[in-house]
Amino acid sequence: MNHKENQRNLPDWLLKDENYIPQSDKDQFIGKSILSILRILSKIKSQSEYKTDKFHVNAALKVAFTFLLVILLSLSTSYTFIFVVDVYLLVVLSFMDGKEIIKILSVSLAMAFFTFIILFPYILLGNTYTSMIITLKVLSTLIAVNILSHSTRWNTITGALRRFYVPNIFILVLDITIKYISMLGDFSLNMLYSLKLRSVGKNNSKYGSIAGIAGTMFMKSKEMAEEMYAAMECRGFTGEYTVRSKWKLTIADFIYMLLTIGMIAAFILWGRI
Amino acid sequence: MIDLKDVSYSYEGINALNNINLHIEKGEAVALMGANGTGKSTLLKLMNGLLSPDQGVYRFDQEEITPKKLKNTKFSKAFHQKIGFVFQNSDTQLFCADVYDEIAFGPRQMGMNEDDVEKRVNDCLDLLGIQNFKHRQPYHLSGGEKRKVAIACVLALNPEVLVLDEPMNGLDPRTQRWLVNFLNTLNRSGKTLIISTHNLDLVQELSKRAILFDENHSIAADLPSENLFQEIDLLKKINLVDENYQHY
Repeated sequence: MNHKENQRNLPDWLLKDENYIPQSDKDQFIGKSILSILRILSKIKSQSEYKTDKFHVNAALKVAFTFLLVILLSLSTSYTFIFVVDVYLLVVLSFMDGKEIIKILSVSLAMAFFTFIILFPYILLGNTYTSMIITLKVLSTLIAVNILSHSTRWNTITGALRRFYVPNIFILVLDITIKYISMLGDFSLNMLYSLKLRSVGKNNSKYGSIAGIAGTMFMKSKEMAEEMYAAMECRGFTGEYTVRSKWKLTIADFIYMLLTIGMIAAFILWGRI
Repeated sequence: MIDLKDVSYSYEGINALNNINLHIEKGEAVALMGANGTGKSTLLKLMNGLLSPDQGVYRFDQEEITPKKLKNTKFSKAFHQKIGFVFQNSDTQLFCADVYDEIAFGPRQMGMNEDDVEKRVNDCLDLLGIQNFKHRQPYHLSGGEKRKVAIACVLALNPEVLVLDEPMNGLDPRTQRWLVNFLNTLNRSGKTLIISTHNLDLVQELSKRAILFDENHSIAADLPSENLFQEIDLLKKINLVDENYQHY
């Protein structure tokens, strides 16, 4: 179709300005959904950015130590050991960025507060010691896990799992899941943007639009999964996936190992008093 | 019609737009050009009210567009009817059960009766030559067909300004040529067009004005499209072409 044909075929309504006054409609859900997806994507993005702790400790050691700390905390029945762990965690926190400290403490304190609320009736019945120690354990565990999460990239954490003989295929699935949450999140964000831009009046089937977005997302994820599998096959994937990581210990790693031994010693000395 | 004054925007501290000053008159056809990641798509989202500037002022029809005003649903809907956005990835724009419903989505919301909706949808289908896909599921169409449906969806709202993010991407040469002609026709009928593109060969046919973005996320040049190839050094400087580029 050439220019002249096109112009001749333009309908009258397209040649006039639309005199349109929209009706009001309650569709705040689109804006709220956009904001919540943006928040999640921004968290994933900030997690994926290059980050490292100031001491460049090996990720595998950090994962192992955090795991050990969580076990020791859960086994401990003494305030003294929990306070020793808390002092250590606060020292580590003090080396972190101000914004990260706020994020870690706000999440951990909020969860510890809810634990306290749940245990409050138990305190009223006179079981103050146990309730307080559980609350403190929750707080310390969350701070430890959050420090790991904020100071180590996800891909290095999943890579570190290799050291603990976690099956490679599990690591692959974990890596791909994290990647695709971000990609599909981005896709759904654009779909919601599009819905918002085209919602210029009263939408009588809001749930229909959301169902349409969910359906398209499902189709898209299925298509992406099939394409990725095909691409992996083309690159020689036969079900075996090998993760290789360099294992070189530095002075910081040895100091970190000493700290780990110190923490085990602290548990033996005070953990069960 | 569109006026941006000292507009800057950043994504979590990473600069995406830096001190943008731009004025677009009603009925203009403008091409935004620049290497990947120079801020073209961010600017288009900002023009559509999906993002708000960190600094500076954005005016549409002499009215300042602010997050506070966009929270007013009546204002926001009226604004979005006036400026239509065709996304780079057409998949993200299509969410209805079939092509007919997809195009009818906007007109139905505008409160038109079903006869008027049908007329408008059929006009759009004819205009874009997609009458045969009327009852097909948008997700199963080819890339070019999806792009046509996405344009039809936006066109059905009869916006005054049509914003297109890299509309030529992924289209075969014949469909690209068809789209250039179609966009020209829309522009001649009075629609304002803002098009982001990498396609140097088609830009002179698409627009009369080219705005070039540099890697500092600023406007490096605002010049008539016909003069674009007299500025090869500038095109090289903003990494749009390399030293081996030849224009015939």
